[in-house]
Amino acid sequence: MRPLGHTATTLLILVYLGAALAVLQGFVGSGLPIHLGASSVAQVSGMVAGYGAAVMLILMSRAPWLECGVGAHRLARWHAWGAPLVIILTVVHASAAVVAWARAKSTDLLKATNDVLSLPGLITALVGTVILVLIGVASLRVVRRRISYERWHLLHLLTYLAVGLGFAHQLAGPDLVRRMWLQIAWALLYCYAFALVLRWRVFQPAFQLWRHRLKVEDVRQESKDVMSILMSGRHLDELRAEPGQFFRWRFLTRETWRAAYPFSLSAPPTRHGLRITVKAKGDGTRRLFEIPSGTLVFAEGPYGVITRRRRRRPRVLLIAGGVGITSMRSLFEVIDLPGKDVTLVYRAAREQDLVLKHELDEIADRSGARVVYLVGPSSDAANEMSAHALNRIVGDLSDHDVYLCASPRLASRVRDSLMDDGFPRHQLHEERFSL
Amino acid sequence: MSDAALDYQRRIPRITRSSITPSPSLIRWTLRTLTVLLFGAATAIGVNLGIGAPEISPTSVVHHDRVASP
Repeated sequence: MRPLGHTATTLLILVYLGAALAVLQGFVGSGLPIHLGASSVAQVSGMVAGYGAAVMLILMSRAPWLECGVGAHRLARWHAWGAPLVIILTVVHASAAVVAWARAKSTDLLKATNDVLSLPGLITALVGTVILVLIGVASLRVVRRRISYERWHLLHLLTYLAVGLGFAHQLAGPDLVRRMWLQIAWALLYCYAFALVLRWRVFQPAFQLWRHRLKVEDVRQESKDVMSILMSGRHLDELRAEPGQFFRWRFLTRETWRAAYPFSLSAPPTRHGLRITVKAKGDGTRRLFEIPSGTLVFAEGPYGVITRRRRRRPRVLLIAGGVGITSMRSLFEVIDLPGKDVTLVYRAAREQDLVLKHELDEIADRSGARVVYLVGPSSDAANEMSAHALNRIVGDLSDHDVYLCASPRLASRVRDSLMDDGFPRHQLHEERFSL
Repeated sequence: MSDAALDYQRRIPRITRSSITPSPSLIRWTLRTLTVLLFGAATAIGVNLGIGAPEISPTSVVHHDRVASP
């Protein structure tokens, strides 16, 4: 993992500071002196869950200062760490509150649950909690593997509804009532979080659709399960997309509009055209192969920070595995160095899995850069991807910026080996995402 | 001429399109203005919600019993 930049550090400090204030308010809200018990557990978990839900919305708002300053992958990691915590805290809050009610009224849990749900805003909060729990269960690795990305994505969108349903209950919570400034601050936090989502996840792609009229021009078969989708549009230079970056693409056909897929540009963008290259990994991505020409494309982006501007060293090593070649292919064409200082190492299990090979060979011929194909089983010593092996291929590895895009397994193997070998973290550039 | 025009053997007048296309900087400023308006609206809604929020928690009875409330 790269060291945190200024934006990420500032954001983390603010998030933790906010969480500390929420905890403090939770304790203060339950009255002084502090008594630990179901009461204070409910107060504190409720405050932190409510605060955390708003933070999760902000992290996933796709605001450019977040995507560029923190990085899409790091944001996704924070979200993957924080979202389950919010769900757990929400459930703890609800359970502790019912227990506390039962104790206060000297009644059983069933009656207490019934009483609590009859209070204003509590039924909607319950529906929101149930939706959050369902999303949490669907995101568990073991369940996630069994459902398609499209269904999971659609279910995930219900988060906004769930968070909205819980909001009314929060403003009436005993931690906030009679503290008008706190109620205003809490309402503003939620309104700004939703405004960010609206601005960058709805307005921006809708504006881009209107301005650029991005549409599918052609779908070209690259191999049995890999296709390139060529798109055309107007004023595409205004997007300021760069080789190495990615968009989240939503193809507006009846079958495919529900899901947004993150795919890197597989060729340098031009004023009139963009290209992505897609490998079929499930029914959803396979359906993309049948997209008719003229289909409108709703594109969020560009995102991603592994561009040529990251380069600081006099030589570059690009490492790609499988379909991870797409972003490396576009970078390979534009790295502003003499060809002899650029090497692309491309790992694939079989010869037929080498995507866009003819283009890579053509670029290498033209620029004098080097392409090394490592094809065959990973048990073969010749296909080793350790720091030692890479050093052997390029010479002095420490003199290189390394760009990496491969399957999570291969990327982690290469990364670990480089780090173990003492390769400087700031010279390794990678964007990690998988469907 | 379009196919329809050929069918009718006459030229169908087209709606004249404006030749003025908005410049990138005009678009950028329009987007910035819209963003300010959006967040202005969010501020107004947030403040209103905060001011109009309940002054008594429905669970205050329990709260005063020094027990948590939902």
